[in-house]
Amino acid sequence: MEALTIALVVDVTLNWRSSLTGALGAVATLAVIVATFGVALVQFVPLDVLRLVVGILLILFGLKWLKKALLRASDFKALHDEEAIFEERMAEIRARGAQPEARFLPFGVALSYKAVLLEGLEVAFIVITFGSSAATTLAQKSSGIASAALGAACAGLLVILAGALMLNTFGTFWAGEGLGVDWPAADLFLLVLGALYLLASALLVLWLKQVKQRQQKQESFAPVTGNAEIKEAQR
Amino acid sequence: MKVIKAIYQFLVGDLVILVGVIIEVITLAILKTVPALAALKMVSRVILVLAVLFILLATLKRETGQ
Repeated sequence: MEALTIALVVDVTLNWRSSLTGALGAVATLAVIVATFGVALVQFVPLDVLRLVVGILLILFGLKWLKKALLRASDFKALHDEEAIFEERMAEIRARGAQPEARFLPFGVALSYKAVLLEGLEVAFIVITFGSSAATTLAQKSSGIASAALGAACAGLLVILAGALMLNTFGTFWAGEGLGVDWPAADLFLLVLGALYLLASALLVLWLKQVKQRQQKQESFAPVTGNAEIKEAQR
Repeated sequence: MKVIKAIYQFLVGDLVILVGVIIEVITLAILKTVPALAALKMVSRVILVLAVLFILLATLKRETGQ
């Protein structure tokens, strides 16, 4: 979503040619990365090492996404901050003195390319890691890839939360297998892990909402207390 | 330095998560490799799950200033 916003800023502020060229270039680069690394990983990296690395990476991504989703669900973070990103990037481009022109602008192409590549790379990384874990069943793979792709494609809070939970679930499972953990009931334990993380997330949202309410109360009382102190001092 | 920072931002962007996961993995690797700690291997799955939840709680606490 952020990539789309930045590409849009380049389109509005400079020109559509630079924006589109940068975005298409990034998509092509991502396609090459997925095609190359997806195959190479499975063929050349031992399974245990692959599981461990994939698991750790998924936990890292999953925790990052889950943190963001929980903060959004509890109003600590805005649900949609694209407007702020738009304004920020537009100010950045104008500060450089760039003007709308019909010709290709390398700066615009680079900005659009970088934004799409960076955000797309995160998704590509997840898709590669899910796809390359050769020991997984077809059901695991498809559900994992589907959740990752869904999380990437949609910006909806619930979808991001579901994606983050999936990443954490699969990440914990694979990292555990890589570290010699024997999961009870084998692959079925994924369901238990998923339910556990879902429950923990629900409890964390409740806790965060309470914290937010407490902070809002303190903020609303602060000026009143301040006034009372001033009045007391004036007396 | 710039490259390392960019990779860090891309992968995690949160020091609590990064350090937490590193400690977790090292702990579990020790449990796996040291024969004297073989008895604790049974609880390694519990440690793994609890550590993930603890890292999440720690990073949320930091974000909310608690």
